Amino acid sequence: MSDATTEPQNKLVPVTVLTGYLGAGKTTLLNRILTENHGRKYAVIINEFGELGVDNDLVVDTDEEVFEMNNGCICCTVRGDLIRIVGGLMKRSDKFDGIIVETTGLANPAPVAQTFFVDEDVRAKVKLDAIITVVDAKHLQARLNDSLEAEDQIAFADVIVLNKMDLVTPAEAAEVEAAIRKINKFAKIHHATKSNVPIAELMDQGAFDLNRVLAHTPDFLTDDEHEHNDDIASMSFSLENPIDPERFNAWIGALLAEQGQNLLRTKGILSYIGENRRFAFQAVHMIADGDFIGPWKDGDPRTSRLVFIGRNLNRPQLRRGFESCQAA
Amino acid sequence: MSQTITPDRLLEERGETRQLDAFVVAATYDRAGTCAFALGDGSLRLVSRDWMPVAAHTGAALTLAADSRPAGWITGGDDGRFLRIAADGTVSEIASFGMKWVEHVAAHPDGRGVLACAVGKSVHVFDSAGTKLKTVLHPSSVTGLVFDTKGKRFAASHYGGASVWFVASKTDNPRKLEWKGSHIGVAMSPDADCVVTAMQENSLHGWRLSDGQHMRMTGYPAKTLALSFTKNGKWLASSGADSVVLWPFHGGGPMGKPPTELAGGDGVTCTMVAAHPTHDAIAAGFADGLVVMADINSARILPVAAPGRGPISALAWNPDGTRLAFGTETGFAAVVDFSKRS
Repeated sequence: MSDATTEPQNKLVPVTVLTGYLGAGKTTLLNRILTENHGRKYAVIINEFGELGVDNDLVVDTDEEVFEMNNGCICCTVRGDLIRIVGGLMKRSDKFDGIIVETTGLANPAPVAQTFFVDEDVRAKVKLDAIITVVDAKHLQARLNDSLEAEDQIAFADVIVLNKMDLVTPAEAAEVEAAIRKINKFAKIHHATKSNVPIAELMDQGAFDLNRVLAHTPDFLTDDEHEHNDDIASMSFSLENPIDPERFNAWIGALLAEQGQNLLRTKGILSYIGENRRFAFQAVHMIADGDFIGPWKDGDPRTSRLVFIGRNLNRPQLRRGFESCQAA
Repeated sequence: MSQTITPDRLLEERGETRQLDAFVVAATYDRAGTCAFALGDGSLRLVSRDWMPVAAHTGAALTLAADSRPAGWITGGDDGRFLRIAADGTVSEIASFGMKWVEHVAAHPDGRGVLACAVGKSVHVFDSAGTKLKTVLHPSSVTGLVFDTKGKRFAASHYGGASVWFVASKTDNPRKLEWKGSHIGVAMSPDADCVVTAMQENSLHGWRLSDGQHMRMTGYPAKTLALSFTKNGKWLASSGADSVVLWPFHGGGPMGKPPTELAGGDGVTCTMVAAHPTHDAIAAGFADGLVVMADINSARILPVAAPGRGPISALAWNPDGTRLAFGTETGFAAVVDFSKRS
């Protein structure tokens, strides 16, 4: 069944998810986004309005309502309130450049991200641009020691604002950054004091550009770790030969179905056989989404890259599986 | 000489149209039979006053219903306001809810008249003068609100099912209709015995109140945004497929019976349906802008408007079934006059 009304990719409104513990500096960042004169208008969806202190047409107060999808899978959850709110925002005549969804401190970002993959009406109008986690450099280690949520929030991030740099020494900062990298090798990290990252560096990330991100981490590609513990790890794989899309879909489908609970985020830019356009793949737990994006640049090697962030990752098994997707 | 009806002929010959450049959120006739459109720019357009714009909400209007009074409408918006719009366009505020959206409104004229609005998990009930009578709470945000035909009860859909409340009761214990999942809209049969909800997972669910029997109506490729019972209660029309899907409700419910499908086959999703107030006929709007009227018994389809003006987002009959109003996501609005010409 096809509709005559599919929005072209570049007309979808970008959605940025902002997460992080209370006190890390999320609210300061949000206030800047709403008040600074950066020439862009963002609708902001929050549920702790009292914190914000800025009254604005574009601020939407919501009750976070996480629902299990009715398919029996306990990690397939979505934010029902966001589906309704996005629907309502898209009816407004006053256009905005993007939507920011702020999640509460202890919240798992997975349901928020999954919402943008799963609902057809939402997918027709908006697109998840990036998950940004604001982290308190001084207190992160303590948070990591006492909660799984802090670890999850870092694992899910595309961008990390490492805030309160004024409160840590260079040595402490290096330790914190190493702790972050152990969980998530691929997020872009910005150092900040009072959340002073330029807004333009946080918005319109173009979902993600794996090539750019992976360009900075070549040394991890040959790592042979085999993680058995509950800690979150990040792994990346690459293939030089083109991929058979049917083999990839079969492999990744089975992998996500089996290990979806352990796989927090999966992201890939793939070269399909006979196809000039790059295929961007991403998943949050079991819920996957993929689109063709711009073509490979002439002269650039068509290297397919795939990254996993999750628990109990078996590197040799993942590498073999990915390699089996190559076109015959 | 044979006559081909071109898809736009009815619109051309009998339609009054405007390009309003805002999302048409709703089209509704008041009890006097006057048409208003509610738009994403927060305004109403009153058709009989030369489509006069009435500034109502600062953001988008989200919901529109006929007032309990003999004329005028009630609206809710994303600015947290519950408003009354008189026939001449005068706007008065019934209540304001700060930052919380007023997402659904409903009214009933019977008795001394009653108004209701859904704000988050609450439904607030008012008398016709706008005095608050009570507030009832639901387990999660209310996604649909409807009065029964007599105005004695109302039903609200939410996560996990729906709740049915008595308008006049002093102590509020709802009849809880439960079914796991996210319910995103609600309708009640004219005999007030069946409550039907639309679900996030592209299906309908129902409960027969007299004996608690469940009904499952599945098979939709997309979400059902519109539900409409025919006046005699024999059929429930629904959107969400590439045809108008009609569930048979004569004989106590659709259990075990297949639906009738009309006006389908083009692979374009039906987005809106509205049962004719008196005949066994359904008006339907599609994602490509096509509007048709379908006769249930003969299955004849009458084109009303050709595709191409944006997905149909609003559709309504006037009380005597002589006029059909519709609007699209990109701001096209029209009223088609079906009355006999001498």
